[in-house]
Amino acid sequence: MTKPDKNTKIILIITGILLLLCAVLTIWIYRKPSGQRVLIIQNNQIIHEIYLASAKDQEIRIDAPGGGYNLIKIQNHEISIAEADCPDHTCMKTGILKSENIPIVCLPHKLIIRFAEEGEKF
Amino acid sequence: MKLKRLTELSLLTAVALIIFVVELRFPDILPIQGMKLGLANIITVYAVFVYQPSETAMIVACRVLLGAMFSGTMISLFYSASGAVMCLLGMLILKKFLSLDYIWLCSVIGAIFHNIGQICAAMLMMRSTAVIWNLPPLILFGAIAGLFTGLCAQVLLKRMKNIKKL
Repeated sequence: MTKPDKNTKIILIITGILLLLCAVLTIWIYRKPSGQRVLIIQNNQIIHEIYLASAKDQEIRIDAPGGGYNLIKIQNHEISIAEADCPDHTCMKTGILKSENIPIVCLPHKLIIRFAEEGEKF
Repeated sequence: MKLKRLTELSLLTAVALIIFVVELRFPDILPIQGMKLGLANIITVYAVFVYQPSETAMIVACRVLLGAMFSGTMISLFYSASGAVMCLLGMLILKKFLSLDYIWLCSVIGAIFHNIGQICAAMLMMRSTAVIWNLPPLILFGAIAGLFTGLCAQVLLKRMKNIKKL
């Protein structure tokens, strides 16, 4: 491998800084504590508002406007998607909603489940 | 366009599609939307350094379109297309500043651009900025995957030079 010239060095340094920043952000995102108020949002509209502390164990079925469904499960004050008929099933694999910054997202059904502060709408 | 050139491009597209379809069978590593190894991009990176920008764009366009048809998720076409366009633009610009020994670096930055493009598309589609929080882990993982595909492309390029000499 030849020695990096000036341009290559600059690009290397910028990339390094960017990646470092991302690493720090990733750690910060995953460590942020979770709240209590959970919003279920579909097509940019809040369709359910749940307070996990007082929520009973239940299952909520949400039908997507374009067909398809997501079955949301609340158990032991934790919320997750138990079942869905989207092609990728990423929403199910996300598991239990833990962090304020990582929502459960189902892109095909345009569904978002996330924590929100009191009074915060979006 | 010369017939030989066209054949080469179609062969590369076919190889990229095969890699893409095989990769669909891989289980997801981490539960983050859009996290993929993107092995088919070995061909993209290779093409960026060997062919004209327009020819590379043709390969990528065919691969993305046919890939969406083969995987049966046309909705993901929008995401992969915006990712591919960003990635290609980034790599084509960077290519001018980097020597052939630094293909891997170009690929890493291409992967970062790819993820930025996809998240922008997701923000547009969902009209929500919440998905932006997926970006840092996606960029990190994407950079590692990009490093791997870039190194593959670098090795491929050296081997192909020997083959073409024959």
